Amino acid sequence: MSTSLLRRLSLALGFSLAASTALAENWPQPDWQSQPRVESAALAELEHYAFPERNDAERTGVRTDALLVIRDGQIVYERYAEPTTVQTAHLSWSMAKSLLASTLGVAYGEGRFRLDAPAAQYYPAMAEHPQIKIGHLLNWASGLAWEEDYEYAPLKSSVVAMLYTRGRADMAAFTAAHAADAAPGTRFRYSSGDSNVLAAALRGMVGEPAYADYPWTALFEPLGITRAVWERDASGTFIASSYAYMTARDLARVGLLMQRGGRWGERQLLPAAWVDFVSTPFASYQPQLAKPGDAVPGGHWWLNAELPGSARPWPDAPADTIAALGHWGQGLYVMPEEKLVVVRYADDRDGSFQHNELLKRVQAAFATEVQP
Amino acid sequence: MIRRHPILSVVALLVILLLAWAWPNRAHLAAFPDIIGAYTAKEYCSCRYVSGNPAAYCEGYVKQYVPISSLLDDASAKRVTASGLGRTHSAVWLGERQGCQLLPNE
Repeated sequence: MSTSLLRRLSLALGFSLAASTALAENWPQPDWQSQPRVESAALAELEHYAFPERNDAERTGVRTDALLVIRDGQIVYERYAEPTTVQTAHLSWSMAKSLLASTLGVAYGEGRFRLDAPAAQYYPAMAEHPQIKIGHLLNWASGLAWEEDYEYAPLKSSVVAMLYTRGRADMAAFTAAHAADAAPGTRFRYSSGDSNVLAAALRGMVGEPAYADYPWTALFEPLGITRAVWERDASGTFIASSYAYMTARDLARVGLLMQRGGRWGERQLLPAAWVDFVSTPFASYQPQLAKPGDAVPGGHWWLNAELPGSARPWPDAPADTIAALGHWGQGLYVMPEEKLVVVRYADDRDGSFQHNELLKRVQAAFATEVQP
Repeated sequence: MIRRHPILSVVALLVILLLAWAWPNRAHLAAFPDIIGAYTAKEYCSCRYVSGNPAAYCEGYVKQYVPISSLLDDASAKRVTASGLGRTHSAVWLGERQGCQLLPNE
């Protein structure tokens, strides 16, 4: 073999190595890779916060069922509390709303709907509210007179009536029958009803035959999520407000998709414009009306945005943090700059858990130093 | 009237106030007793058959401050029936993707 051929071969090898290093990203294909656990004071501090001695008698305090931390596409921390395990498809509660946003994002990329189109165009039961657009519903700004309260004020709670009594047969129709008490797009009011109207509109966007499997074909299967459950009401509409179930490892896939700007491997599954929309604060949101620590509403995702005249909701987490949040402490937190994804499943029955306290400790234990 | 029957007058006033509050809230009041049975049936069904948690755990998980009078888990049909405040509701597991659903009122 001539030396020039050898040189050319080694050059080619060198180039391809360099190219593959540049493209080297960790993806859970098919399964997550794990980094070995490294003990540190910061890690002990995190576990002390997330997994204190569990009070099952009074159900008080922080009660984490699962905590999973992904850094740059690899598991760096994973712990479960009985009976939740790595195999458990845990209830999402309202994190399902952000799963709906991601499902809608794929439909958006397929050109199935427009954000400024009236919801009634895809869901005729909204004909009474012709001014309510898809984008308004995504911002929880439909203007419908909705009461979102759970166990502390069950009598007049719209969400309890929707899930368990008067609305349960057809949750979107129950919501659409509410009167409006604000102009659409002018007022943020968190509403599980808005989410279920969107879930009903999805049927009109993709058509009845594709609808029943759409979250799987559009989102779950491309991400390699094999065992997801999404419950429906008696009319067949996904209960997008509340009832999705998947393992912590599978939910983290949705987090990694968001961390990487809607791209999964080589494929731009969610259009960049969609990721921008969902991570942009609702324009008419008034942070001064929020409780301390309340995240800023985006497009069915929650944001740690710093708005004029107001501090970041979670001061110790990066400003680009976006999150899916659910009742009783459920959380999927995405910190794109830090390349961190955190899944927390929980059964917190009092208000003692604080997102900021968790994220502060996760960062202390796992954030890589930013290279200058 | 007020001077001769002071207690009766107060009771009458309270009844009038109660009715004045109850009438606009009649739909909420009529549905209220259904919440606990429906909540318990649905959440127990999903706890048990979607998440696959042990029965003893799910019993504790669904406990609320309103007591229930019975909770029946028909494991062969994956059907859960719960009663409370005089109302009974059932939820049934439908499949791998669909999970559990509340059944229509009987």
